[in-house]
Amino acid sequence: MTEGLLTTSVGSLPKPDYILKARADFAKGRISREDLRKLERQSTEEWVRFQDEIGIDVIVDGEQYRGDMVAFFAEELPGFTKGGLVRSYGNRYYRKPVATGEIVREHPITLEWWKLAQSLTDKPVKGMLTGPYTICDWSFNEHYETREDLVMALAEVIHQEALDLKAAGARYIQVDEPAVSTRMDELDLAIKALGVVTEGLEGVHTITHICYGDFHNAYPKMLELPVDQIDLEMTNSNYDLLDTFRESPFTKSIGLGVVDSHSHRIESVDEVVDGIERTLELIPPERVFVDPDCGLKTRTVEEAKDKLKVVVEAVRRVKSDR
Amino acid sequence: MTLKVTVIGSYPRPPAEGGEFRLRKTLQALDRGEVGPEDISAAEDALTEEILKEQAELGVDLAADPQVRWDDLLTPVAERLDGFSLSGLLRFFDNNTYFRQPVVKAAISREQPLLVDEFRFASQKSPVPVKAVLCGPYTLAALSKDEFYGDGAALLADLATALNQEARDLQAAGATVIQFDEPALAAVPGQPPGDLDAFAEVAPVLIEGIESTTILGTYFGDVGAHGRRFYELPFGGFGLDFVAGPANFDAVEGFPGDRILQAGIADARNTKLESVEQLRSIVERLRGHAEELWVAPSSGLEFLPREAAQRKLQRLAEVKS
Repeated sequence: MTEGLLTTSVGSLPKPDYILKARADFAKGRISREDLRKLERQSTEEWVRFQDEIGIDVIVDGEQYRGDMVAFFAEELPGFTKGGLVRSYGNRYYRKPVATGEIVREHPITLEWWKLAQSLTDKPVKGMLTGPYTICDWSFNEHYETREDLVMALAEVIHQEALDLKAAGARYIQVDEPAVSTRMDELDLAIKALGVVTEGLEGVHTITHICYGDFHNAYPKMLELPVDQIDLEMTNSNYDLLDTFRESPFTKSIGLGVVDSHSHRIESVDEVVDGIERTLELIPPERVFVDPDCGLKTRTVEEAKDKLKVVVEAVRRVKSDR
Repeated sequence: MTLKVTVIGSYPRPPAEGGEFRLRKTLQALDRGEVGPEDISAAEDALTEEILKEQAELGVDLAADPQVRWDDLLTPVAERLDGFSLSGLLRFFDNNTYFRQPVVKAAISREQPLLVDEFRFASQKSPVPVKAVLCGPYTLAALSKDEFYGDGAALLADLATALNQEARDLQAAGATVIQFDEPALAAVPGQPPGDLDAFAEVAPVLIEGIESTTILGTYFGDVGAHGRRFYELPFGGFGLDFVAGPANFDAVEGFPGDRILQAGIADARNTKLESVEQLRSIVERLRGHAEELWVAPSSGLEFLPREAAQRKLQRLAEVKS
């Protein structure tokens, strides 16, 4: 049996209809925060059990209680003010937070959710954080003099959160930095900030997820990001990056996105097997984690389940063929 | 010196806090199969008209279609030209927003007008004059994936020809100002500046037969790397972003005084509101460089919530008064 090739998810999973309704009801003041929390705990439990049952190795809590990955943290951090709606693409909008004062962390943000998810399974549950560079890049800044000042203030608070997750027993901590690929001139800043976040996390497998960028420009500099694993969307770019890895080896563990998070189509097991096999020509299985391209929250519950089953089935087949 | 307030193009679609977001709801209803494309058009029309009135009330002298029908700057042009197909989403310069990457699959040609109907509608509904805005050939080529030409100059030449045909039709439809958006020519932070030589080759083709005022719009960065040769391009005016590209304060030295300087001076990507004094001092610095100064947000305003966009335009109008 091949070691490695652990299956996982990038983070978010779709919210079932009852959560969407409850969130809308809560926003309109029809139900209490505790009513909403109860349902969010229920769907978290459903997702953890589903992943466990189909054989996912490293579990996520599915982020049923988060709206936007940046706004969720901003809402819990004094110094941020809730912002207005801004379009991200198509008919999708998000509330872009505004840094209006000094950013501090008064209490843990994700810890209770991680503990809940971990209590439901014997498999490891990933701690899921949004990185300081991305929170800065996706916020307005009315307080700090420079972007660097804001990024480094955020690095400190996310670091505190990571230490709490480690102390609670998290063996995997992922710090999402999708914005890192935005500005090559700030890659050093993102690396420095991630270094602050992951300081003191010895014994924890640290991960960062990057997406939607010109990775070819960022590579191999990207390998300086101070984490054990970089999670990349490979399907969205037809595994183009493998050619780059041939020229300059990928030296970390890779989170290998093998199903498209933004398409309704359910990939065939065959095509996913093919993508994994091509990757294994370049990176040994111990360093390959297999997952979807990105968070699956924009898929339907059924689509997400089907995609995750394809991931697990493809890995089983690759392992049995070796 | 003439001083005007203008916009660059896009404008936030969401209403101010508490308002009804009809377009979003209608698009969601379309997804559920409850409404048809004509309902979407009606919602887009209504929002376009609402924004044009709002811009005029806020003090804009020269408006533009607010692009509420567009997914991104490139798609409306790429999907209506022959030769392109559309691919995956990529980040749009250094913004947390995306564009669908056009892929060149065959020779580029223009078999139908691209934006003429939208321009006509906007100019009918706007209380103030409207300029036509469209993605320029250089940016379109730079952000596309070429699977056909294998020769950047040939692709650029065909794009310039196609967009020239569009500009002629926009002129015939009454556009007295036509702005070609070329953010890819600027040095956007973290990216090299565009290839001025390549663009200079096709610029005459792009504006051939155009009597209307042409504006070469840049934003998200500065044009300093191009030196004075940038201003030798045959356009009636140049759009420079003085917020994302502070080096433009140096680059504006040598600006040809007989051209229009469209100056992006209010940050269109951060809610922090500039004071009237701050903006006035920038206007003072730029005043000597051109007989006609158009002050504007630094780029399209769609990166801001509605209220913030309103405040920015209001501020620009205060600077003028």
